[in-house]
Amino acid sequence: MRIVVLGAGHVGRAIVDALYEEHEITVIDTNADRLTWLADRYDVRIVEGNGTTKRVIREAGIQNCSLFIASTSREEANLVSAMLVKKLSGARVIVRTTSVEYLDAWREREIDVDFMVSSELETANAISGLIGIPAARQTDVFADGKVQVVEFDVPDGAGGNGVVGRKLRDAELPVDSKVVSIIRGDERIMPDGGQRVLAGDRIVVIGSPDAARQWSRVISHERQRVDDIVIFGGGRMGTTIAHVLLDRGIRVRFVEGRLERAREVAEEIPEARVFNASAFDSEFFERERIGHTTAAVFALNDDPGNLFSAVLAKSKGVQLTIALAHDQTSLHVYERGGVDVAINPRQVIAEELVRFGHDPRIRQIAMLDDDRFEILDLTVRAESELAGMRFDQMPETGSVIGAIIRNGDAIIPHSKDILRAGDRVIVFVESRRASTVERIL
Amino acid sequence: MKRKSGIEVGAALDLVGGVLKWMAPAFLLPTLVAIGYGENVWWAFVLAGVITGVAGYALDQITGDKEGAAVTPRESFLVVALLWLLIPIFGCLPYILAGGPQLSRPIDAYFEAVSGFTATGATLVPTIEDLDRSMLFWRQLSHWLGGMGIIVLAVAILPRLRIGGRQLLQSELAGPTEIEKLGQTIRETARRLWRLYVILTLIAILVLGFLGVSGIDDEMTFFDAVGHALSVVALGGFSTRTISVAAFSPVTQYVLLVFMIIAGINFLRLYRVLVQRRFDVLARDEELRLYLILILLGSILIGVEVIGGGYESGEAGVRHSLFQATAILTTTGFATADYAQWGPIATVTLLLLMFSGASAGSTGGGIKIIRHLLLFKLVRRELEQTVHREAIVPIRANNRVVDEKALRSLIVFVLLYLLVFAIGSLGLVIDSGRAGEGLSAFEAFGAAAACLGNVGPAFGFAGPYGSFEPFSDLSTLICTVLMWLGRVEIIPVVVILTRAYWRS
Repeated sequence: MRIVVLGAGHVGRAIVDALYEEHEITVIDTNADRLTWLADRYDVRIVEGNGTTKRVIREAGIQNCSLFIASTSREEANLVSAMLVKKLSGARVIVRTTSVEYLDAWREREIDVDFMVSSELETANAISGLIGIPAARQTDVFADGKVQVVEFDVPDGAGGNGVVGRKLRDAELPVDSKVVSIIRGDERIMPDGGQRVLAGDRIVVIGSPDAARQWSRVISHERQRVDDIVIFGGGRMGTTIAHVLLDRGIRVRFVEGRLERAREVAEEIPEARVFNASAFDSEFFERERIGHTTAAVFALNDDPGNLFSAVLAKSKGVQLTIALAHDQTSLHVYERGGVDVAINPRQVIAEELVRFGHDPRIRQIAMLDDDRFEILDLTVRAESELAGMRFDQMPETGSVIGAIIRNGDAIIPHSKDILRAGDRVIVFVESRRASTVERIL
Repeated sequence: MKRKSGIEVGAALDLVGGVLKWMAPAFLLPTLVAIGYGENVWWAFVLAGVITGVAGYALDQITGDKEGAAVTPRESFLVVALLWLLIPIFGCLPYILAGGPQLSRPIDAYFEAVSGFTATGATLVPTIEDLDRSMLFWRQLSHWLGGMGIIVLAVAILPRLRIGGRQLLQSELAGPTEIEKLGQTIRETARRLWRLYVILTLIAILVLGFLGVSGIDDEMTFFDAVGHALSVVALGGFSTRTISVAAFSPVTQYVLLVFMIIAGINFLRLYRVLVQRRFDVLARDEELRLYLILILLGSILIGVEVIGGGYESGEAGVRHSLFQATAILTTTGFATADYAQWGPIATVTLLLLMFSGASAGSTGGGIKIIRHLLLFKLVRRELEQTVHREAIVPIRANNRVVDEKALRSLIVFVLLYLLVFAIGSLGLVIDSGRAGEGLSAFEAFGAAAACLGNVGPAFGFAGPYGSFEPFSDLSTLICTVLMWLGRVEIIPVVVILTRAYWRS
């Protein structure tokens, strides 16, 4: 496949790194140095120039390409460029943005691109997965957060909690949830009521956010659930994380050093408690009992600051420290310093940009377990043969309908429920059968 | 005139003149009433109208070369303070010119006119019915003209206020929070407010008139209906009867109760609800909630004593408690009973309610509910910040952040309000001792609070069935100044008294 990437910054590099072996990649950037740096390391074609002009886009060979990824940090440039590409070619267009507003406009189909990702939101979701559901390996959110798909590792020695070791139909499962896959060694099981979840399994669960949280408690009873968190740094990243966490019922406190910004944050997020204090002020930590909180996120502008503050927080007793890294080296330094989790937002968005959809009806695709499974988010057509059918009468297709979104409400279907045309469904499916499922629904 | 000053006095006077010119035609209405009832004082209104018109025109001419000079926020303080001083000067002319046995002394006439235009409702007339019908009508009309504010009307019609209108309307209506526009422009907003005001008045006239015509209330003549409609929509308090609303049937009293509650709501909100049918606006309004809670709470406190203490019983007890709490809190000042005779719990509650005031943006006076609400939130924040020193806690009203500057000036306003109240009541007792009026401490507090809050009747001889007539001239003057200060919300007057105001 021919791919054109706009931007040779951190994100562009990460995309090239992930895709260059299998695809023909052309990179556009205004900065010649960055381009030569890339060309020295990867087998890619480079085009120097302004990617928001027709001439440069044509020069990059847009007519013959099938995927265009606008990955610069300047979102307006990304958008202009994407619009031009949409006009000039039939390529699929993916745009990186930092603005949740653009993202909303895209979801409402007012911005005509195929996929749009926000590094802030993706990072916030990743952190929320780590915090709200501590035992989760991977979390995907569907239908504006009403449905979650979560992968758990069932710890060794788990048991005696009404779930592990029991047949699923007898187990005390959290309501509004469903086990859609059990992975045991090399075996992958689409479970029915007769199967059991065992210690050491990896399981995939679909359910409401509440149910997902309960699952984490059921599975990993030794860890405490986080319901209170301190965010250091009230930048855009910090506030986006706060919004996502507040949506999931987690209490948020902010520490922001600049008075002006602290005030803005306090005005923007009434539900959060905002402090105008230094992230390095030991006395402040004591006064506000920061050490009593179970988790803290460090989203300051500079990595050394994040490290210092995280280590200070750790020494005061914070159990889980999550620090954002602005470049790859920081990840190792953080690790040496004792930060529990380091996240590089650019890495997160690069990973997200590498994914893309096949069916235009699919709003979001998550690929689980090295692409062997997929989660599809589709709307049931009126002419679908499954519309109007009871769940226990549906044919075997190697897939599970994990959730239905009907009139804005998420339903976790049981055997007696009936699928209707127009339902939005979240389907867990083996990759090789994905196209079959898309056809049937 | 040539001295360098930071204030465009010319532009301010120009505007005042413009408003006075527009006030002149208003004298036509009482003239017609006088002719209609065959009263020979009609000439007094004509003459007063001519004088007002000429004065307005003259002010306009003298400062005419200032055409186009904009009224900035600085001038608007002067304009507001001057307008509420000058309008009653012209408004009291008919009382003086007619030369009747009551109100013909200038100081008395001025008191009555200030009480009228500030929608206070305190009167110097012991027996209201002795006045000519046309004079009675003029009293009621002055409430109506002053209530929603000649200022709002001026913003709506005067072309020169395209620029300075916003500040004027702000000082007139919005209280501590930003004014929300109803139309595209501030002019359109003022027009819509005025239209709402007129329509509400017409509805009140129709409903009250119907009660009279249908025989539900034999006492309610069409004249009374118009008079009380003008008074209630402006939350004024003047009545065409000495014993106020007590002269009418319970049904009428309930109707007036409803109108008082409606007129006490922020008109900007009211417009959204009644005209744009946005009922959710009211449901979420914090000020409205507190307003209704305070009315209910006040009524219960009063009712417990009124009914329990045997002053009134059954339905009458409930009605009088509700009506009186509402009439005082909204700063109307109507009365269905002589509450001055009630026990200490009821009278102290009423005195405290005088400090509440209606909603901001209504026609009522007083401190206003929203200020109490914000003050409460300020106190809560202070307490919170003693525990969490670094916490940043913005204060919100109806989910919108209130500017810190606005909060500071709010505190200053409330402090000034209490200071003026203290000086006023002190002045009244001192003067009472000199003149031998025998004013009790409580009555002095009551009179000061009732005037400053633009409520009207107080306690003792100045109670709902009585009048301010026993007061000496000096006390009358003190009350007049209090009413004026209350109407302009003190700050404009204090500001123009500072030296910094006049420097460039």
